[in-house]
Amino acid sequence: MAHNERFEEQAALEALGMPLGDESDAFARHRAEGCPACEELLEDFRVAASAFAAEVPPRRPRPELRARILESLRGSRFPAVPAPTRSPGAAWWLAAAAALLFVVAVWDDARLRRQREDLRSQTAQLSAELDGARQEMARRDMRVRVLESDDVRVLFLGGKDPQPAARAKVFWSEKVKTGMLLAGNLAPLPPDKQYELWVFAEGKPVPAGVFDADASGRALFESKNLAGISPAQNFAVTVEPRGGVAQPTGPIVLAGTPAA
Amino acid sequence: MNADSREADRALVARIESRDAEALALLYDRHAGRLMGLAHRILGDTGEAEEILQEVFLHVWKAASTFDPSRGPVLAWLLVATRSRSIDRLRSRRTGRSAVARSLEEAPEPASREDVEADAAGREWEAQCRAVIAELPEDQRRALELAYFDGLTHQEIAARTATPLGTVKTRVRLGLMKLRERLLPYRKSEAHGA
Repeated sequence: MAHNERFEEQAALEALGMPLGDESDAFARHRAEGCPACEELLEDFRVAASAFAAEVPPRRPRPELRARILESLRGSRFPAVPAPTRSPGAAWWLAAAAALLFVVAVWDDARLRRQREDLRSQTAQLSAELDGARQEMARRDMRVRVLESDDVRVLFLGGKDPQPAARAKVFWSEKVKTGMLLAGNLAPLPPDKQYELWVFAEGKPVPAGVFDADASGRALFESKNLAGISPAQNFAVTVEPRGGVAQPTGPIVLAGTPAA
Repeated sequence: MNADSREADRALVARIESRDAEALALLYDRHAGRLMGLAHRILGDTGEAEEILQEVFLHVWKAASTFDPSRGPVLAWLLVATRSRSIDRLRSRRTGRSAVARSLEEAPEPASREDVEADAAGREWEAQCRAVIAELPEDQRRALELAYFDGLTHQEIAARTATPLGTVKTRVRLGLMKLRERLLPYRKSEAHGA
């Protein structure tokens, strides 16, 4: 594929070591096809970005670091190499060896790049898993805070036509401003529909969020929309268009009355 | 950074290639302060920054022959190596390694200009870089700084700055294009030993 602005964008990201995401394969193919413009851009961008280092004041390393580095050279696996004595007949061998070394170096470079990409991908995946675990911890923490709150209240919701077998409990805390709904026996809905929870305050329904039931008809839903709704007097669940509506329009499938 | 200084750097790298440890020590004396400053700016930790410096100079010792003057000055080569290693370490740290005690470490005083020989030689380079960066639009400079120093991905920059992803990519590209345009003559003169 011909060089274009999109590849220049990829070169800029690559030069800064930023993951290319979905476009990495296309850029790798483009480079493999041989694009001198992209190769030059990559090198230029790396050097150009170094200008930012000028913004940082120098810092003096500890004096022992210099000695440590020089000491470590003694353990280096690369001893001094005496200057080779070249004979005319050795030229062909040298050329062949150089070509072989070049091929090995190119192959090794590609291998290291792949490893680096793999590591970056694994890092991103682990980071995403960590974020997910943190979010789950936060949700669980919120549930515990509701259940342990000294003003926690529980309301049983009974099924209404057309889902008389549906059942649910709502736990809510005015202090934590959060409610949790645990429901069962909910009927599957068409893809364009969702269940919507309503809080009744001063006799008026206020939307508290939409949720889906799993394949077994169960649902666990947390609503943080209770802030400003005080006191909650009743809860109900209706079937609404996916995404929810501001006022109930569909059939009520669950409803209850708060315990005293 | 004047031509004599750049030439001196190249001569040192050539000596290092032939296994001259004294040349490595001299190169260290010229640039360690600036590289330490960059690694510390990225990692915020003196011990880790020194480990990066050790890796970089060991790399120089082993791979001096890979230095290509047509790709930029020795200092840029060292900065690219320092920055990439620092960012790799920063990202691995973000995957969950503890950062405990880093903040407790006693940090050495920043070097004064008189302390670091390379700074005297690098003042021209430093002034030119700062002038070029100052000419960048604020949004491009900000996006590049978040990528360069904090190792943020374009998605993370988009989230941090509440900017569409495509806009972030464009800012990064345009910013680097401008830096390249202004610094390329410098790079070319370097390649030709000017």
